[in-house]
Amino acid sequence: MDRYLRLLRLFVRTELQFALEYRVNLALEIMQMVVVAGTSLAAVLILFAYTEVMNGWTLGQMVVLLGVYYIVQGVEELVMQPSFQKFMEHVRDGTLDFILLKPVSSQFMVSFRHFQTVQTLQVLLGLVITGLGLAQLAATVTLTSAGAFAFTLACGLVLIYALLLVLSTLAFWFVRVDNILAIFWAFIDAGRFPIDIYPGWLRITMSTVIPVGIAVTVPAKAIAGLVDLQTVGLIFLATAVAWMVSRAFWKRGLRAYTGASA
Amino acid sequence: MIQIYRALLIQAFQQMAQYRVAMFLYALFSFIRPIIFLAAWLAVAESQGGRLGALSSSDLAAYFVITIVVTHATQAWDFFEFEWEIRQGRLSPKLLRPLHPIHYSITGNILWKLQTSLAVVPVAILIAITFDARFTTTPSHLVLGAVSTALGAALAFTFGWVFASVAFWTTRVHAVVTLYQRAAFIFSGQIAPLALLPGPLLAVAYALPFAYMLGVPSDILRGGPDIATALLMIGGQVVWLAIAIGVYRIVWSAGLRQYTAVGA
Repeated sequence: MDRYLRLLRLFVRTELQFALEYRVNLALEIMQMVVVAGTSLAAVLILFAYTEVMNGWTLGQMVVLLGVYYIVQGVEELVMQPSFQKFMEHVRDGTLDFILLKPVSSQFMVSFRHFQTVQTLQVLLGLVITGLGLAQLAATVTLTSAGAFAFTLACGLVLIYALLLVLSTLAFWFVRVDNILAIFWAFIDAGRFPIDIYPGWLRITMSTVIPVGIAVTVPAKAIAGLVDLQTVGLIFLATAVAWMVSRAFWKRGLRAYTGASA
Repeated sequence: MIQIYRALLIQAFQQMAQYRVAMFLYALFSFIRPIIFLAAWLAVAESQGGRLGALSSSDLAAYFVITIVVTHATQAWDFFEFEWEIRQGRLSPKLLRPLHPIHYSITGNILWKLQTSLAVVPVAILIAITFDARFTTTPSHLVLGAVSTALGAALAFTFGWVFASVAFWTTRVHAVVTLYQRAAFIFSGQIAPLALLPGPLLAVAYALPFAYMLGVPSDILRGGPDIATALLMIGGQVVWLAIAIGVYRIVWSAGLRQYTAVGA
């Protein structure tokens, strides 16, 4: 475990140094993030110019939800997306062999090797927006609701990780799976609003197949104290199952891998 | 010129026939965002008793369904391709050809849209039925709407090339394009029918070019505005298109003059 933490620190440091080499680019990316989040916030305000409550969600709750959306997306783009992207390149180019030969868990190497360190700021931005929403709500965050928030958020992130691991693992059989991942990208956009506003088929997709809806909506409800213990337990169970299934699938895929020219 | 275009179209068709899966994914992308905002506006309308000003829930559904098709028809993506060509040094040989690179882009653009409409249009129809969309389109709306969509596509395409030309100076255009796309996000009619933009935003939207790329053609095709208003809006499109073409010519020739291939 200790060794893995040390490796993780090393990976983050090298990626940070890499990012700092391109300072203008870094500044521009930060600017883009702020603009994107700001315009998304503006869209929510435009909607709420016409109503006080949207399907039971007040403005404050919606802003919290948007904040959580950027936290989730930030984490996803911070480590999952760059790492899995690189993994698929490795499969395609046949360079995965070098990673498999390393004396650490290959799942770890594949999942956490690459970071887009600048995305930390997107996570921070998400936290700021969440804070803005909470201030608007004038909701008192209790220890329980904060705990439920952190716990469901962690579960949601693991759910997304499990899904991405499964989708990436498909690369062992199909090599080119960028297209399948693109489906994920299309749906993550829908996380910016609570899943209960969507028509049935989309709600079901967002809470089971592509669990972005759960990862965003549930923590946003939890921090306002609107989630009961039963839901938390259910999500934990689903997360545990998803984790085990994805891990088993990864191992199965690894056995199917034969190298690029074998 | 017709012969040249025929050859280019055949070439583009052969290239694209290889990407059938990409086509269906593209269809998926095209309807997710309109559905997101349609669902949000329906929830808002419901809290107000099913209407927002002049718009009923079925009108909202009709508007967003139409935007799926219009977004598809007016999309332009040349900035990223152009940036890539400059960075990879692929632009230089293209510039030496007797034909301006924009012509390759025009044929590619049209063909991609024709092909993917096979996936996009059925999806739009399905969504229209699911959400009980109600169109008040008359035949004259349809004709004006088609003209307006073509103008919107030309406008978006020309602006796409204006921003692509920025790459002559900066090589990377990602940041500029993000600003451009986020302005479009708010003002083009992506997130709300233009009529629902609150007070000052609506005035800004009609002054900027973005609404003329998406919101205006969509409104006309839905059968929203009367014929006189529709003609006025099309007039606005023509003005913006003329401006865009003027700007494009200036930027392109200035950029070309100071362009040196990467590594020169």
